[in-house]
Amino acid sequence: MDVYSDFQCPGCKALYETTLRPLIDNYVDKGKIYLVHHDFPLPMHAFAMQAACYARAAHRIGKYDQVADVLFRQQQYWAASGKVGETACSVLTLGEAKEVQALAKDPTVVAEVQADIQAGVAAHVDGTPTVFLKRGVTQYRIPTGAGYQILARFIDQLLSN
Amino acid sequence: MRRLILPLRLLLGAVFAYAAYTKLRQPWMLFAMSIDAYQILPQWAVLLLGHWLPWVELSIGVLLAAGILLRYIAAGAAGLLVVFFTLMARAFVKGMAIDCGCFGLGEAISAASLARDGLLVALSLVLTWLARRDAARAVNRV
Repeated sequence: MDVYSDFQCPGCKALYETTLRPLIDNYVDKGKIYLVHHDFPLPMHAFAMQAACYARAAHRIGKYDQVADVLFRQQQYWAASGKVGETACSVLTLGEAKEVQALAKDPTVVAEVQADIQAGVAAHVDGTPTVFLKRGVTQYRIPTGAGYQILARFIDQLLSN
Repeated sequence: MRRLILPLRLLLGAVFAYAAYTKLRQPWMLFAMSIDAYQILPQWAVLLLGHWLPWVELSIGVLLAAGILLRYIAAGAAGLLVVFFTLMARAFVKGMAIDCGCFGLGEAISAASLARDGLLVALSLVLTWLARRDAARAVNRV
């Protein structure tokens, strides 16, 4: 499953909280599907790029899940205040926070986010969240706003074939 | 005015048939997910509609284009379009960032999609009125 997401987008927060969390617990953690997060910060969201860089930086030290989780949970706070770094680092130790703050400005991290954006454009992603489900050579675009229950049924059906 | 019936029923018939085609070429559960995104119906109803609504749309499209039982089918099509438009408008007003589900996948509800569906509602109501008037005149002639 490929998810193109923007940390500042309310629809992405809803997707993460109501669909992806149970999907991670019931399918990803059990090894049934792979979930690949792609950053697709939209230009209209002033702090989305910065948030994506912090999440990428956290990934480099193995703390992606914690930072992504707090960025979505506290989205309203940092989207209004611009305190992205403070929010992202709130779930890290002092040492980890310093490392992540430095990495978030690393050109290679920024380049990774840019590469994700390019991949999204190539995949005809025109908004967030956009979710693709791939099984073999077949790819399905999942409707925006799809709930967990029916998505899970669809995945079960694909897995049973 | 009577001359409008043929182009109107062909246009609306094609629209319904195309809407059905875009859904039937995908696994039906993807359309069920589009319905589910509106957060109105229970899961059993979502699954039922996801499975059968495209076939209903196809039937309406074919019957409209063929002009069979026109006043009833046109009224049914108008009723269906009014329901679709109302649900889309509700989602738009509530700020729900969801797919429209009108013509396949990947089309978000927007002012443009609402304007298009509003136009289809208007055309279907005109067709219903013309078909009823035409049928009433035919009865009077007899």
